[in-house]
Amino acid sequence: MSIAASVLDAVRAETALRPGARAVRAGLRIGELSGVEPDSLRFCLEALVSGSDLEPLAFDIELRPWKRRCLVCRAEFRVLEFNPACAVCGSSSTEAAGGDEMEFAYLEMEEP
Amino acid sequence: MRIPLERKVLNENDRIAAGLRERFRERGVFCLNLISSPGSGKTSLLERTLEGFDKSRRVAVLTGDIQTDNDARRLARFGFPVRQITTGGACHLDARMVERALADIPDEYRILFLENVGNLVCPTSYDLGEDARAVVLSVTEGEDKPLKYPATFHHADLMVLNKIDLLPYVPFQMELAREYARRVQPDIEIVDVSCTTGEGLDRWRAWLEARL
Repeated sequence: MSIAASVLDAVRAETALRPGARAVRAGLRIGELSGVEPDSLRFCLEALVSGSDLEPLAFDIELRPWKRRCLVCRAEFRVLEFNPACAVCGSSSTEAAGGDEMEFAYLEMEEP
Repeated sequence: MRIPLERKVLNENDRIAAGLRERFRERGVFCLNLISSPGSGKTSLLERTLEGFDKSRRVAVLTGDIQTDNDARRLARFGFPVRQITTGGACHLDARMVERALADIPDEYRILFLENVGNLVCPTSYDLGEDARAVVLSVTEGEDKPLKYPATFHHADLMVLNKIDLLPYVPFQMELAREYARRVQPDIEIVDVSCTTGEGLDRWRAWLEARL
């Protein structure tokens, strides 16, 4: 819920920079390893927007996969079934390459 | 009109955390963020740790809970500065709470323990400016917790497997727990301890001392 509140604070801050404009859609990127459940986040965002000055703001939540990079063959691969070994060459020397995103991608505004 | 923002949702928290980290670095402070489910033994681990420290060590503890200052009372009896952060409903600590609580502690500590609110989900997302994160998992829980809460274990440097004195009475499989943690975070270090018998605490202390 406090993450949803942070999103809405940012929407209000951006809207304040453009007098007269209204935010209609906010784009977010949420990684599988971010610790945030996208459905819960959407639920909280919609609950906070409902009946507020931001209504009817909509949300576009893009899910980002858990990825690792192979230190041997350099391939980037998606981690499936909790298997951190390289999906291309099988090496176990791999490093984190994404999935912890919790980002504000864009805001769509309507101007009068 | 689409305005590209390209920034982190928690950038205000991250900004404060970066300030804390810079402060810790300048003063040579090692800061550890302790995360676990409620009842896994974060406070017990800190009790045993503080108990083992010479009184000349410059240590401070901030302990987070939704309500009560019970943990701060338990920890204050060892003579080191301890402050309770009562979050009043929030299920995690954030960088601003840490910054505020530190204003109340003399700037002399070189080791700072942040005992997060008991929760394996929300604390994960909040950078507190720490140098390292430790997750405490006790053997009375399921060994598949690393798979159920991958984000928390993925961001941890150390897993402390606690309550190993209870292994004869519970079906917990240590090797499976270690394997699951390493699947989520291949570089994670693991120490097995019992805060009740003291077994393994030397390994935990060695891990800690190596980082100071």
